[in-house]
Amino acid sequence: MRNIFTIIAFAYAITSFGQDFNAHVAEAKSSYSSGDLENTRFKLERALQELDIIIGKEILKQLPTQLGSLKFNEADDNVTSGSGMGTGLFVHRSYGVEMNTGRIDVINNSPLIASLNAMLSIPFVGNSGDGTQKVIKVQGYKAVMNKNANEQTGKVGYTIQIPVNNTLYTVEMDETSESEIQSIANSIPIAKITQMAN
Amino acid sequence: MRVKYLTAIVMICTLSISSSSGQILNKLKQKASQQMDKALDKTLGIDDKTPPGNPGDPGNGGNNGSGTNNTTGGGLVTTPPDVQANIADAQSSYRSGSYGEARYAVQQAMLGVEMEIGNNILKSLPESIAGLGKDASADRVTSTGFGWVGLTIQREYRNGNKEFQVMVANNSMMMSSVNMYLSSGGYSQTTGGEQNWKQTKLKGHRAIIEYDESRGYKLSVPIGQSSLVVYEGVNFATEAEMMSAAETVDIDGIKKMLGEQ
Repeated sequence: MRNIFTIIAFAYAITSFGQDFNAHVAEAKSSYSSGDLENTRFKLERALQELDIIIGKEILKQLPTQLGSLKFNEADDNVTSGSGMGTGLFVHRSYGVEMNTGRIDVINNSPLIASLNAMLSIPFVGNSGDGTQKVIKVQGYKAVMNKNANEQTGKVGYTIQIPVNNTLYTVEMDETSESEIQSIANSIPIAKITQMAN
Repeated sequence: MRVKYLTAIVMICTLSISSSSGQILNKLKQKASQQMDKALDKTLGIDDKTPPGNPGDPGNGGNNGSGTNNTTGGGLVTTPPDVQANIADAQSSYRSGSYGEARYAVQQAMLGVEMEIGNNILKSLPESIAGLGKDASADRVTSTGFGWVGLTIQREYRNGNKEFQVMVANNSMMMSSVNMYLSSGGYSQTTGGEQNWKQTKLKGHRAIIEYDESRGYKLSVPIGQSSLVVYEGVNFATEAEMMSAAETVDIDGIKKMLGEQ
């Protein structure tokens, strides 16, 4: 029952954003016809932001609702449009509570992507001798995996970053194993999301 | 972690040093070989003037990787994107659920609009300022098509060694620092020492004027919320002459075109 309400709320949100997009584009079109370039630009910016939110919400639908044993925090789902501010689209989903948490972030047009790609292209810099960082492959895409040890609890977590075109995927879990985090990363429909984001 | 990075940097340096010493050795070898060839040609009485090389010969400057020089081609078409067509494209892509394509089309439309705004601003600028004619070849409108990332418009005027430049930046990062100058008491004007900058007003707009011995005058005028007009004058005799040149630009018209309040 709860799922049905969630789907209805989602559909409503997308429809209302869709109306906003159409309204902004229609206003941009009429402003342009009347020679009001500044308002055309403003309305196009607004349309772009609405579109980012729609794309972000579509991406959220593709993300897993569970990371291992951690359930996702629906209220924490977040889509931010940075179109026009140079930061692009940011999609965030968190999992678990308190000490044992995880997250998946999808960032489009992120400035981090260039530095990650550079790291991936120089293998001996991408891999560290102590095993805290290494280059792996996720669904055929090169990725960087980092081991994060919690000094207080002594437990080990991992972060995987996968740059694809101009989109960066980050999968992070506080308490997990190398094989589990890789299996989670492999379950994300990267190709489909990349197509949506670009 | 730091040790690893240091080791990596040292390795890169070592590799580049050994690679550059290798290059030097190769060059020395080449030079020695050329000198030996010349000496041999002289002994045998062969003319040492080299015949004109084929386009594909290595060492011919200006050729590309395939060995053929480009001698024709019209360059790239710099026409701004068609705004109406891209808006229509965005609408149809959106209807069909191709959100990525819709976004690209909206960005292209925005790029087209920004280029038009920029060209309109260029048209509004005077043909000459302070006796200096405009250099049409230096007119420039730069836009990323991402709205707030920035639109810049440049125009240059020159005559001999005297130059005047107008640069309009919209949605500019520079704005924050200039506003800091204008609003912070910590940057208030002093009477002692050499005064290289001061606050001033241009047509009622607060501004900063700077002077540098090698670069001349620079006047920065923030307009509205996110735009900045920068005037630069090289070899202007006085501050008054610089201000009078800047006043000939219709700054309120530019402000209106950029939609600033």
